[in-house]
Amino acid sequence: MQELALLMVSDCADAQKPEFARLVRQAKAGDAAAFEAILCQFERRVLLTAMRLLNGNLEDAKDAAQQVFLRLHRSLHQLDASRHFASWLYRITVNVCRDMLRVRARRPVVPLEEAGHCAMAGGTEDAMRRDEQMRLIYAALASLPERERAAIVLRDLEGISTAEVARILGSSEVTVRSQISNGRVKIRKFIDRQQRRRL
Amino acid sequence: MSCDKFEPLIALYIENDLAQAEARAVESHLAGCDACREFAAEMRESQAALKALRTEFVDDAVFLQVRTEVLSAAAHGQRVVSWPRYAIAAGLVLALLGGWMWQMRPGARLESRPIAANVSAPPLPVTVPAPQARTRTRLGRVQRRRPQAAPMFKSEPLLVKVITDDPQVVIYWLVDQNGG
Repeated sequence: MQELALLMVSDCADAQKPEFARLVRQAKAGDAAAFEAILCQFERRVLLTAMRLLNGNLEDAKDAAQQVFLRLHRSLHQLDASRHFASWLYRITVNVCRDMLRVRARRPVVPLEEAGHCAMAGGTEDAMRRDEQMRLIYAALASLPERERAAIVLRDLEGISTAEVARILGSSEVTVRSQISNGRVKIRKFIDRQQRRRL
Repeated sequence: MSCDKFEPLIALYIENDLAQAEARAVESHLAGCDACREFAAEMRESQAALKALRTEFVDDAVFLQVRTEVLSAAAHGQRVVSWPRYAIAAGLVLALLGGWMWQMRPGARLESRPIAANVSAPPLPVTVPAPQARTRTRLGRVQRRRPQAAPMFKSEPLLVKVITDDPQVVIYWLVDQNGG
């Protein structure tokens, strides 16, 4: 888990390196290979963030990721690689997912059986238990209001600082802190309720 | 401060999201409150469960599929944007070239007239010609007094300006209205 967090931090740092700025310049000039390299660098983060914002639905997350990267492609000419590229991409991801949820008029709460479509490796008892836990967490996330969910996903799952989350969501730091706090308490209560129901 | 007021702070404290002064206040409250200590322990558990999503496995084939579709759509998008503009411009150029070649064909009436008459005619925007009767009268009088070396136009040439999507491509089409 710690390795993943470190990986994310190094990814953020990569976005500020001169090499990344060169990739952006080349992509702006129409170099498809450079654009693909940018895509490779960020696809995992964009797709996983989208999946967490879209109730664990992998197909929706794939659609969202495609939209995000096509928006990136269209906006390349006005992109400043030296300034918060990762934050910009997260903001687009959050907006695309929000639009998808609104357009499809998803109910914020999904049944546990439908939450978390991500395939887990193997069919052992451990894997099944793990799968069930993932579904529970996705259902807990889905039960949160849109803004709280986004704040929790960015802070607790993406490991982004509260100040950066505020910048991504276009809110004040105080508001985001409150959303994170409320979200965490609600998740705990949701998990607690579900576990009591099963006993 | 009551325990209710500490709950939101504890939710931040367990992930080190509080400033030092607030964290110290929470710690001193936790030291003397069993219920809040239990709440903090439960919060830590649910946060650990939430963070299990970080280890979620998504097959590389999924990323490859997304990448392929994005690159394909991006390339397609470029064609969609640029193709019609250049096709329309090329079509117009070909049409004008064809018209010009038709006029320049052997035996066309244009050949019998001096080329200078066409070249020297000032390009004018599309306008309604001046009243015919008056022009004819004046021209007739001029012709009687001073015969012209070059043949006169019955009406003025028509200039068609074609604006394409590309601001750098503007096509002018000079139409001889005297049967040329």
